[in-house]
Amino acid sequence: MDAACVRSWLGGVAARLEAERDFLTQLDAAIGDADHGINMHRGFAAVMRKLAAVGPATPGQLLRVTGRTFVSTVGGAAGPLYGTAFLQAGETLGDEGSFGPRRLLEALRASLDGVQRVGAASEGDKTMVDALAPGLAAYELELRTGGSLETAVRAGREAAAEGTRATVPMQARKGRASYLGPRSVGHQDPGATSTALMFAALEQAVLADRSQRFATGSRTRASRR
Amino acid sequence: MIQSVGRAARILKALGSESARLGVTELAERVGLAKATVYGLLRTLEAHQFVQQDLETGKYRLGPALLQLGNAFLDHHELRARSLLWADALAARAREAVHVGVLYGPNVLLVHHVFRPDHSVQILLVGASIPWHACALGKAIVAYLEPAQRRELLAGPLPRLTGRTLTTRQALLSELDRVVAGGVAVEDQEAIVGEAGLAAPLFDNRGAVVGAIGLAGPVEHLLPDGPAAEAVAAVKQAARGLSRELGAGRLSAPGAGA
Repeated sequence: MDAACVRSWLGGVAARLEAERDFLTQLDAAIGDADHGINMHRGFAAVMRKLAAVGPATPGQLLRVTGRTFVSTVGGAAGPLYGTAFLQAGETLGDEGSFGPRRLLEALRASLDGVQRVGAASEGDKTMVDALAPGLAAYELELRTGGSLETAVRAGREAAAEGTRATVPMQARKGRASYLGPRSVGHQDPGATSTALMFAALEQAVLADRSQRFATGSRTRASRR
Repeated sequence: MIQSVGRAARILKALGSESARLGVTELAERVGLAKATVYGLLRTLEAHQFVQQDLETGKYRLGPALLQLGNAFLDHHELRARSLLWADALAARAREAVHVGVLYGPNVLLVHHVFRPDHSVQILLVGASIPWHACALGKAIVAYLEPAQRRELLAGPLPRLTGRTLTTRQALLSELDRVVAGGVAVEDQEAIVGEAGLAAPLFDNRGAVVGAIGLAGPVEHLLPDGPAAEAVAAVKQAARGLSRELGAGRLSAPGAGA
């Protein structure tokens, strides 16, 4: 993955957040302050503006800009949590021009560690960790059992979506929803939902990147002939 | 202890902890009783409208009489009743949400909640229960408890709710000292990431702490660069006014000097 692929991923996240804004807000209205969709959408719109102004940059720089923009523009829990996630991923990738599936695994792990450090949430607490942790675990398992980047991001997307659905019957143990006790049961967690959406955008960006490379690759070969 | 009353209470709690309705068999499993026993208890509870049966599925859920009891509890709660006007005024002045709470075991029970007056959608937290050590209200109350009570709470479990929750006895002891020194308790994302709180204790005519009132809101509003001075002043003033109304003398309230 290179900077173009990371930009396409972040652009995909922004587009999905725009499309799902009302859905996320609706989920949050049941167990929170009904601002998750609005906050995430506003934050990523700011990220897109910032990234457009950033010239050539490494993947790590792009992710660090995303994290910092998120922390400064998004209120509530989403700002510090997602901000930390992107910042940690960006720090891990350093200033390499491109990175492979193993480095992506390290970046995702750093994101999860960061989120858990800030939020102190474990799996089963009905938070974004319930999408991030299984998504990361499935991605890692697929890589370790001989999968490619493409199959690994797909496994990650599927596990994150499944983890999100699994938040429905949970009683929240972290965040504002935990104040509601039993009343938090029966609702899907908005934070897990937005995390699953990021995994879906990641898969899409990786697949688009591959098909583009394939197309450019064949063009290059054709021109050589 | 009357066994059947205890069993009925367990059934109500089981129904209260599920969003789905429960059938007699499921309930019997959950509370560990024979189906016939559970059925008899449910019929009695239903006669008093404490539970309701869904006619289509035959499953049970909580009934409307519980809401009436809950409301009666709040209405008869003297602190809550007296806090209504002060809480409204504080919310209007500080433009943030106001919480009023009392200590209930190791938790703060919110008995009143005024929404942040900005017309945004918010969720009513009356009845919510927050570990004392993680919120401004709890720290404001515990700082002024009798030493024995305070020791007991400090020895109890201190669960971590965020990366910033104070979870050691030592850290909390110095925090409680700071509360007493400043007359205000500060919560910096210790219960919810991104959320802060400022609270001051409430005293009765014996000078005993009976609860706390405070602001809850985005950390960037309440703690822009340390606690916002105006918000602190508003919280202390509301707490002093409300304490006087509860019978506390001008001098009997330890926090009154500030």
